[in-house]
Amino acid sequence: MAGTLKAEWHKWWATVVINWRRLLAYKLNFLLLVIGPVLVFFFIRYQVWAGIYRLEGVDTLQGYTFEQMLAYQVWVMIVGFLALGFNGMNLAEEIRLGRISSYLLYPFGFWPFQMASFLAFQGLQLLVATVTLLAVWAMGWVQLQPLALLQGFSLAACVGLFWFQANFVIGILAFWLEETWVLRVMLVTLSQFFSGALIPLELFPKALAQALHWLPFPYLTYMPVKVFMGTYTGSLWQAFAVLLLWTLLVFGLARVVWRQGIHNYTGAGI
Amino acid sequence: MPLLRRYALIYREYVNNCVAEALSYRLHFVLLIVMDLLFYLSLLGGVDFLFQHLDQIGPWNRQAFLFFMAFMIAVEHLHMTFVSENFWAFSHDIRTGKLDFILLKPAAALFIVFFRAMRPATLLLGLFPWGLLGWYGSQLGLLWWQWLLLPPLVLLGLALLTSVEILISMSMFWLVESMGINFLRMQLQQLSRWPDFIYGYFAQKFFGLAVPVLLVGSAPVRFVLNPHDTSGLLWLLGLMGLSWLLTAFFWRRGLRAYESASS
Repeated sequence: MAGTLKAEWHKWWATVVINWRRLLAYKLNFLLLVIGPVLVFFFIRYQVWAGIYRLEGVDTLQGYTFEQMLAYQVWVMIVGFLALGFNGMNLAEEIRLGRISSYLLYPFGFWPFQMASFLAFQGLQLLVATVTLLAVWAMGWVQLQPLALLQGFSLAACVGLFWFQANFVIGILAFWLEETWVLRVMLVTLSQFFSGALIPLELFPKALAQALHWLPFPYLTYMPVKVFMGTYTGSLWQAFAVLLLWTLLVFGLARVVWRQGIHNYTGAGI
Repeated sequence: MPLLRRYALIYREYVNNCVAEALSYRLHFVLLIVMDLLFYLSLLGGVDFLFQHLDQIGPWNRQAFLFFMAFMIAVEHLHMTFVSENFWAFSHDIRTGKLDFILLKPAAALFIVFFRAMRPATLLLGLFPWGLLGWYGSQLGLLWWQWLLLPPLVLLGLALLTSVEILISMSMFWLVESMGINFLRMQLQQLSRWPDFIYGYFAQKFFGLAVPVLLVGSAPVRFVLNPHDTSGLLWLLGLMGLSWLLTAFFWRRGLRAYESASS
């Protein structure tokens, strides 16, 4: 039993280490691909909100002072670092060209392999998020509260898990579709808008904001941000439960899609 | 003239190929249309929600701001239809050495590299951005000559955006893995989607002069709304010319640095 566990641990750890090396082999590319978009997204939000408050001379907007809006956007950036993954980006090509055949021969399942790759990526992202957070804290843009940090990081980890599963299921749809990146972009576009990453949900029309609570989107950015800020008034357990429920749903869907897909898989190029 | 005709014929062949390829994957074709629509609606929705709480942002009211967004959507629609696919292919060609085969063809390699692929599904959505532009333009009460200016100005914005992106793409010759450069391009597009007056002083100067993406929409729209404001357009033309010169320089240097992975 202990031997089996040790062997499993070695497989996971080896995959994590290989992925770290792969991700950091081209450092500038990693910077532009992973860190750049989140930083630019924050830069634009910062400029837009600073411009709005400056040009219009408003003190508060739907209860947000400029300092609070800035803190909101900082936490959106941190949640972006912690939760948004890039796994599944190459899955379609690997399936279409038959490259997953080699993965199927590994003494390590395909899903655990993807999961270990995801964990490697998240490890790097956690480091980037921590350094960024310390920098913005030193500038006085956010206040750090230990309990809120613990709750926020936990919730963001759940969001990361959801995104991993969602990206995985979209990626393996390549068993049937020529390209899957379109679906991924659609989901990201929808979630960026409806999750409150662009503008806080308080600025949405009331009916739409209420309707959104039936969907996973607010739980992907708005709620983790509010938890980090220490201003979340809802039930934290409910937020965790809803996120885990959606993750389990997507996980179940992934299992069904994988089983059907692998049944249809012809292994092009073999 | 024969040269132009020759390139027009080559381009026609590329378009035919792209249409044939796009129609082979019908679901992907439809999904592309849905994706573009969602993207346009999210852009407009964000601004619309903002104006439910504000009457004005800087010098522009809701109509002027949404007219700017519609202008940017029209530019991006053409960009996504005719240009954007090529940047992803260029990065792949350099990495895999496929650029060799393009260099051997009896036509200008820069033309082939950046204009060989298009996205027919996006072209089908053409009525949407131009309809938006017409709708918000009519709310601003544009005069006939302002309407006439719109198509050439959209093309001018597209030309500047494409020129800046081509120049940035030259760096792919020196970077082995260039996916990040394409992501950088997309970030610059995001920056250009907001009018220049939103940005702070240094950001305005940097993204208006050094990497002039803020001129893509702001300069033409300001000119349409106030024809006496020509400075932005003059900068746009001057910087576009400069970017062409720099592209020619870096293209030659890049080809010398190109290691041709396939040979």
